[in-house]
Amino acid sequence: MFAEIEALKPGTVPGLVRPGEISVRITPGDIVPFCRSAAERGFELVDLTCVEGFDREGRASLFYCMEKRGMPEVLTLVCTLEDESAPSVDCIFSSASWYERKIRDLFGVDFPDAFDRRRLVLHECYPEGFHPLRKSVPNRPFSPRTAIPPEEEYRFMPVEGKGVYQVPVGPVHAGIIEPGHFRFSVIGETVANLEVRMFYKHRGIEKLAEGKRPEECVAVAEAVSGDESVANALGFSLAVEKIAGIAVPDRAEYLRTIYAELERIHSHLGDLAGMLVDVAYPVGASRFTVLREEVFRLDRDLTGSRFMRGAVRIGGVGFDPSRDQIRGLSCFLSDVQERFRDPLKVVLASPTVIDRFATTGFVEPRFIRPLHLTGPTARSSGADCDVRRDHPYGAYADIAPPVRVLDAGDVLARFSLKASEVMDSLSMIRTCLEHLPDGPVIAEAEGGGVPDGYAYGMVESARGQNVHLVRVRDGRIDRYSVRTASFCNWQVIQHAVMGNIVADFPVINKSLNLSYAGTDL
Amino acid sequence: MLPVFKNIISRKKTEDISLHDPEFEAIGRDLKAAVDARMRRSLAIRELDSGSDNATEIEINLLSSPHYDVERFGISFVASPRHADLLLVTGAVTRNMEVAVRKTYEAMPAPKYVIAVGDDACDGGIYRGTYAVLGGVEAVLPVDLKIPGNPPGPIDILRGIHALMTG
Repeated sequence: MFAEIEALKPGTVPGLVRPGEISVRITPGDIVPFCRSAAERGFELVDLTCVEGFDREGRASLFYCMEKRGMPEVLTLVCTLEDESAPSVDCIFSSASWYERKIRDLFGVDFPDAFDRRRLVLHECYPEGFHPLRKSVPNRPFSPRTAIPPEEEYRFMPVEGKGVYQVPVGPVHAGIIEPGHFRFSVIGETVANLEVRMFYKHRGIEKLAEGKRPEECVAVAEAVSGDESVANALGFSLAVEKIAGIAVPDRAEYLRTIYAELERIHSHLGDLAGMLVDVAYPVGASRFTVLREEVFRLDRDLTGSRFMRGAVRIGGVGFDPSRDQIRGLSCFLSDVQERFRDPLKVVLASPTVIDRFATTGFVEPRFIRPLHLTGPTARSSGADCDVRRDHPYGAYADIAPPVRVLDAGDVLARFSLKASEVMDSLSMIRTCLEHLPDGPVIAEAEGGGVPDGYAYGMVESARGQNVHLVRVRDGRIDRYSVRTASFCNWQVIQHAVMGNIVADFPVINKSLNLSYAGTDL
Repeated sequence: MLPVFKNIISRKKTEDISLHDPEFEAIGRDLKAAVDARMRRSLAIRELDSGSDNATEIEINLLSSPHYDVERFGISFVASPRHADLLLVTGAVTRNMEVAVRKTYEAMPAPKYVIAVGDDACDGGIYRGTYAVLGGVEAVLPVDLKIPGNPPGPIDILRGIHALMTG
């Protein structure tokens, strides 16, 4: 890894180094050459975020977090800005565009040479000059703008030509789903372009965390995205545990892994059912929905919450299952495999399903690195990536997931991949139960609380890689930045639907399973 | 090809499975009587996410799944507020959703009901008093009933709808 950093710019000295994390301080003038050199050497931009007062009060520091396939550490370039502007790297990493627009809205840092300088997170009702993540802005209601000048209204990218017309959809959709706006430009039935407008659900999660004690903040992490409660509570806790040097007991690591895999199972079962509903095959969908409800009930029996809220705590887990609970889980596992495999066989032998799934919503491999696609979406298009194997946490160092990769990149590939991941998760839980160590389930609290510092926590949620940056100052959360897999994966839907018909949009959307809440924060 | 062919010609299996929970069934039967009497046999519901964390949507969706199957009780989830008698609102109302929330309510024909589902919808929950939300649903719309929970489960939601119809 050090040779790699030296290669980026000779004479570079790493700053903070801990297992899995290396950071390098750079100056604003270094941003573009460093990023270009990193991109050329195969690094991907994992996350780009901003921290105020990192080394100087009132000054913004940019954190460019990068990884390279096959390298266990993540590399973070930290750059403290001289003024409120920075050069854009959107031409080097396509994914940088959304990050930079977000940083501009929330911190007031301008990227003058960016190709897209529209607002992203804060819609028109927020007054110009209001940047809520600045430390000087208190977290309380403000007076919104009531009259929005026409020139400041959000402008969709114009798509014009003979026979092109627009289909605006949302933010309130027809189904029971989350809000977002889709602007289709269609020629006949075929989608010529799609632009998504998100962040309707921006609820200020990151600001909400500031000033809280780390243990109070687990609930905030769980609220990032309901069906990723365990993954995000875990990502946040991993970061805090790194800062505080807490060693999580073995039994807790195994239990965390069980909870995380149960969450993956209920999420994937929901996707499999949803895709079948969207191609009008409810008979198949019902079988998976029944199993999903049973998993929710099992989750409630194990942790008191159907979404396993409160299951993960800093230093361990909140619940130590009794012998009866473990027996219940084992019984469920031995019975569920057949009940999952049978309907799966029928579904994958159904011409009506295959006809709608195959070749639909193709995610081209060339988008994976520029947009930093992760999770089943990337793995169905040929990318061999999985945080559980690449940056192991919980019990994954002992019980590595078989990382499955498919090449087709269509809805059928994503359906098949998720189905095999359900089977893998079931067998991983079984292995965890067989080897479940005895002992405490939470680290003994040491006096003095969490020391000052920052760290990244990275997890593989059902949707892909979630990245949590936590900074603690005087025992309180000073900065909490979350980047879920959906934030990156949302951007590929605009490419995946092109050339498909509008009627296939729902199934493509479902196959990508994107969280609005986890993106909008 | 072979599995597809086999699937077409093979006998279809059906199995007799019982998934229903007696307590849920009792509430459902009582609710059906109330819907028959008060709503002339059908209650049309539109769901509106005003800023939830998506867990409540999952629970509302599951009301239509085989374990619960609430259509049996005269309840249907409809695609447009113009067809709805009842609005189930989830999440604190965000600034960015305020206009959409108001427009959705205005599009409903009278008489209309609103239920706030989940802690954040009831009073703003963990977001109360912060910059990005206006508060609970009642900050924007008249609310007839609140169903607390983080998130409330399918049975809690049905109990709430029952309370509204019998209250």
